[in-house]
Amino acid sequence: MESWKQNKAVFWVTALPGVVWLLLFFLIPLALIWGMSFGEKTSIVDIEITGTLANYLRSFEAVYVKIIWKSIWISVISTAVCLAIAYPIAFGICFSPARWRPLLLLLVILPFWINLLIRTYALIAVFRTRGTLNFTLEWLWDLAFLDKLVGPYQPLELLYNNGAVIVGMVYVFMPFMVLPLYATIERLDRSYLEASLDLGASQWRTFFSVTVPLTMPGIVSGIILVFIPMLGMFLVPDLLGGTNAIMIGNVITDQFKAANDWPFGAALSFLLMYVTFAALAVRAFIGSRMKGGVGV
Amino acid sequence: MAKRKSTRGPLEYGKSPWLILFGIVTFIVLYAPIAQLIAFSFNDSKRNIVWRGFTTKYYAKAWNDASLVEAFVNSITIAVMCTVIATIIGTATALWLWRFRFPAKAAVEGVMALPIVIPEICMGVAVLVLYSRVGHWMRGFESGPIHWWNELFSIWPLNLGAITAAHVAFSFPFVAVVVRSRLAGFNREYEEASKDLGASEWQTFWNVVLPFMMPGVIAGALLSFTLSLDDFVITFFTAGPETNTFPVKVYSLVRRGVSPDINAASTVLIIITLVATIIAMRMQAPQKSEG
Amino acid sequence: MTYTPKYRASRRSVLKGSGAAFIGLTMLPRFAMSAEEKKLNFYNWDTYIGETTLADFNKASGIEVKMDLYADNAELFAKLKEGNPGYDVIIPTNDYVERMIAAGMLDTLDSSKIPNLSNVADAFKDATFDPGRKHSVPYMWGTLGIGYRKSKVKDASSWKAVLEENENSGRISLLGDGESVIGVALQYLGHSFNSVVPAEMKAAEELLIAGKKGVKVYADDNGQDLLASGEVDLAMEWNGDIIQVMGEDDDLSYSVPGEGSLLWQDCVCIPKGAPHPDNAHAFINYLLDADAGALIADTIQYATANAAAKAKMDATYTGNPGIFPPDEVIAKCEASLYSEEKTKLRNESWTRIQAA
Repeated sequence: MESWKQNKAVFWVTALPGVVWLLLFFLIPLALIWGMSFGEKTSIVDIEITGTLANYLRSFEAVYVKIIWKSIWISVISTAVCLAIAYPIAFGICFSPARWRPLLLLLVILPFWINLLIRTYALIAVFRTRGTLNFTLEWLWDLAFLDKLVGPYQPLELLYNNGAVIVGMVYVFMPFMVLPLYATIERLDRSYLEASLDLGASQWRTFFSVTVPLTMPGIVSGIILVFIPMLGMFLVPDLLGGTNAIMIGNVITDQFKAANDWPFGAALSFLLMYVTFAALAVRAFIGSRMKGGVGV
Repeated sequence: MAKRKSTRGPLEYGKSPWLILFGIVTFIVLYAPIAQLIAFSFNDSKRNIVWRGFTTKYYAKAWNDASLVEAFVNSITIAVMCTVIATIIGTATALWLWRFRFPAKAAVEGVMALPIVIPEICMGVAVLVLYSRVGHWMRGFESGPIHWWNELFSIWPLNLGAITAAHVAFSFPFVAVVVRSRLAGFNREYEEASKDLGASEWQTFWNVVLPFMMPGVIAGALLSFTLSLDDFVITFFTAGPETNTFPVKVYSLVRRGVSPDINAASTVLIIITLVATIIAMRMQAPQKSEG
Repeated sequence: MTYTPKYRASRRSVLKGSGAAFIGLTMLPRFAMSAEEKKLNFYNWDTYIGETTLADFNKASGIEVKMDLYADNAELFAKLKEGNPGYDVIIPTNDYVERMIAAGMLDTLDSSKIPNLSNVADAFKDATFDPGRKHSVPYMWGTLGIGYRKSKVKDASSWKAVLEENENSGRISLLGDGESVIGVALQYLGHSFNSVVPAEMKAAEELLIAGKKGVKVYADDNGQDLLASGEVDLAMEWNGDIIQVMGEDDDLSYSVPGEGSLLWQDCVCIPKGAPHPDNAHAFINYLLDADAGALIADTIQYATANAAAKAKMDATYTGNPGIFPPDEVIAKCEASLYSEEKTKLRNESWTRIQAA
């Protein structure tokens, strides 16, 4: 890494586009909303920025803490499942014949060019009581004469519970995990793996002691790209979840829509951001201490 | 070599039957709902539960729905514009953060990660507030010297500029993340060697750094295309009657159950993408040998 | 065998692949819009207009109507709150009409441009939420009730069937709209739909939390779909939605529970900043036309406020108690009244119910 003073022209050429764009179309609008989180509603449409902390204090009421906690564990499980599925897939694509790779990569991404809502509804059509999965299972059940032996097939109730929310999350966010993993595994120096195997380590040992540490940047990027949007997700719990599916994303959305309480919605959003931001900062700090930084 | 299937090398994971099986199962799970969606777009029933006969009438219905087609075209236009801009900006940002040491870098990195971190709805509302303020302010110029500005931005596709700008803002940090994780493995000695051999900064970038980070750039571009094409929440707040996108249109249509014409429109989208991709891959096939 | 990474081939191929895909996609015919003035932007609910109404209006007036859809009033309100993005005609429900008037978001209507106002039924000529009908014209009205599967449900004459545990538990869907669900729970407990009395609100909240065991899902206005697809046997829904699916499935029925229910009225309004106010007036006038109104009522199966249109409909529509409930049922129903305080309390309570 070089000091910015060494090559000012390149520094500014690479720095400015991102910084300017972020400032104009993200930081300025965000600052408006941030101001709002310290405001109060004075009428149906007017919000006055009074510097109050009431919105933040309200976020610590038991009910919101409970919902935030639930959002976190649902997202943690979904991210873990995502990683467990995406890693072998990305790995397999990288080790497949070169001419197959672009096609396989496209196969992973293609479903995600279909609208999120349509995909979620497609999932519903598969999992509902009178859906494809239950019809198939019933057909198999009858095929095995279980209807004669045990009794008629009882359809599984697969939708409208936390499991369905997790399945939906994994289904929706898979490519965000596969892509960064692919990018890192692809540039993995295979001679390290050979060396490890030559020195007598088993395939599993090689995987966990060599491959995983070497692809850590990809894993970390993948986790960030998947976990954080999951935290704020509201459509999936809304469509697939049952009566207690509410996540923090739903509460925030409600504040901006039905409740018409933008200051509180802004405060909740920023609370979520402060927490994630702190976590990222801690990670970056540890990362830079350890080995010159992997960075976001 | 292709004949010796039985003797799998220790690193030929691509031939591991377990990995292949896992891949196949994953792809089946990934595609089953979509296959069903495509099948139901031909189903002669509004309810989509049991098969009631083959029909293509929903395709005609989707095609004749001018607002659906318009939303469809808008979406793809925005996604393409967004991908081009976001990939360039994201790659530049990744290079910047990877290459330079500068004061307050950790803070800048954190700020760059904000669009990834922020709940979509919050950003949607933020952009809505910004644009409505700018809109009020611009309306003040209705008769002034820059009145042409407003007219210019009501012409297609410039009227999609506002949505595209917001899409770029939330997708370029994703590109930066992916490209940077790729760059983390770059051996800078190559870059130095190139410069020692007399290459300029630009030549070094173009011939050494860019080829190395290309997989990251492509992955990032695909990611931003996907993000933009699929974005509903942020677009919802910025779209007006003239600038509807496909997700916003679909959202309003599926809230009360998916109708088969939406399935038909999605099928068309899948097929167009698939065909264009296959043609493109065929076209570049002869160059394979050169690699 | 070599493991040297071969960047060029594979990377370029994907790049070119996606590049060509982009080009292919942008070659689609573009349906550009000219800046013609004969246009109207209509923001409406889904399935809430006659099959050919917009085309007929175009034929009659030459004005091309572009319709966008919203899923609920809150969405409409959120979208227009910071300024009108270009809509000319909207259809909010009574309490939101009141809210939007209070927020100064609606234009005043010029009744001289709407001669068909004379077609409006007498009962709707004035309204408490819009005294003198300065900002709104009645469109449709209806009730909230229970849609149910006759072969599976014995008794749906009380809100008990969906609010408390019973033999159909686990096969019930409620609306995802907290204000209405809590309001109905209050009515079941014998209070007003609009109550903000803390003790009554608390009782309703406890009732709904206890009843969660029996409820499968809080549906986003797609209860009729869940009912028709057999996912649930009882659904709290708007009458017209259920009546639309009843036409496809004889086993379904609709009831307005005896404890009373919500009586609502959707109104046609022009939001402030509408770019084509003259076209908007012409369109509103057209909606109130007898034939056009009858066509709409026939498609959407909601009760029309247009007396001339109702007169043209046959008895299967006018005599349907699901659409036009008997007077004694209406007498027990209440309209939702607007109040920011109520909205706030209801939303907090709804969050607690969902998190419980």
